[in-house]
Amino acid sequence: MIRITGLRHRLVDIPDLAVDARHIAVIGPNGSGKTTLLAVCSGIEEPCAGTVRLLGRPPSAVKVGWVGEFPDRTLLFSRVYDEIASTPRFRHHPCRETDERVKAAAGTVGITHLLDAKVSALSGGEKALVALAAACVDDPEVLILDEADSHLDGVTAERVGRVVRESTAAHVLWCTQSMDTAAEADYVLFMEDGLVRHHGTPEEVFARLEETCFYPTMWRVRR
Amino acid sequence: MRVDIKDLLFSRGSFTLRGSGTFDAGVHLVSGPVGSGKSTLALLLAELLRPGSGAVRRHGVSSALLLLQFPEHHITCPTVAQEAGSWGLAPEDVLARADLAGRADDDPFHLSRGELKRLTLACTVMRNPDLLMLDEPFSSLDCTAKRKACRMIEERDEGITIIFSHERAVLPRVDTLWEMEGGTLTACGSVPRAIPRWRHAPPYLRYALEEGARPENIRLQDAREAVCRTHG
Repeated sequence: MIRITGLRHRLVDIPDLAVDARHIAVIGPNGSGKTTLLAVCSGIEEPCAGTVRLLGRPPSAVKVGWVGEFPDRTLLFSRVYDEIASTPRFRHHPCRETDERVKAAAGTVGITHLLDAKVSALSGGEKALVALAAACVDDPEVLILDEADSHLDGVTAERVGRVVRESTAAHVLWCTQSMDTAAEADYVLFMEDGLVRHHGTPEEVFARLEETCFYPTMWRVRR
Repeated sequence: MRVDIKDLLFSRGSFTLRGSGTFDAGVHLVSGPVGSGKSTLALLLAELLRPGSGAVRRHGVSSALLLLQFPEHHITCPTVAQEAGSWGLAPEDVLARADLAGRADDDPFHLSRGELKRLTLACTVMRNPDLLMLDEPFSSLDCTAKRKACRMIEERDEGITIIFSHERAVLPRVDTLWEMEGGTLTACGSVPRAIPRWRHAPPYLRYALEEGARPENIRLQDAREAVCRTHG
């Protein structure tokens, strides 16, 4: 359960919201407060007012995996292996276990061939995949992705979708500009001007967006 | 006006980029998977990288600009208005075009990523160079902004425009399709005849073709609407 009460932070204003779904898509125009909401839910930012509870706890007490919208800003280490290994190392896992986890995460995301590469030599999409592997490596309870798919081609984006579906996280908060991706979520939040304008199942939310370009292309085509 | 690339070869580690071809006036779309070399080709065409062998030759091109994939890499000034001014453009015109009225005095890094992309895209297109190269111009944009970006690109009535993108939902009127795969550039040809050969075609185009749509009746910018009408 994700529960938001009296939240006010920058332009985001959410009086009361409780979501019990696993895969939650956050959509809306640029500048509508999606990133701010995700930053508060991840515990990266403390809200000015109000509370967020993930699984009944404050975000700081939850293992959160985070993939930011600016991969260059979140990657800390110069070698891909060290970047993915950072979370298990910071949590003092034994070296052998860390090594196994890094290789497993890289395999799942499909970047085993990049483990020895320098982060600076990667393409934009590859950086997003490294950030995803680093976020998943220590089995987060909540996985938060901020437009991680905006740097990815269709085939790679489908692979990310599979990684997200198969992750053991209890909740996945995924902000995306691909409405076809959002349509596959269990629950959708549509944000506008800092407010949650619509929320519900994809069917419920997109029914209210049918006259806008936010309606999923494949739904329009297949209808 | 044209750009020729001849036996272009560029290597870095185990990655090798190869390509030959001619980019004539018009709108070109280079698509391909992550890490296939799209951004590297953009840097080579912009002459920001030097090829190992082969050459990029520009004919009749007096100005060229590359929009970088990550908009934050363009920023050199502390306010949005000064940033627009640093491109040699009138800030009020840029802000109007990028839908950022009222944000003139904001720090560019306080914009959302989509807003920052709108700013750098507006600056690049408004400079109106002979050779305009756009690396992932649609990433991070919402669907309204993507359509507006398409219109800005289509309003360029001359010059060479090369778009490097994996965008699948919203595309401008494209004249020529190219694909990058594993570092190799392949010309698919002119739209619409090239569409059946286009391996990275958006899902709705593939669906239309599978449903029997004739490629010569498909125009990219209105493919979505056309497909909807046939099923309407």
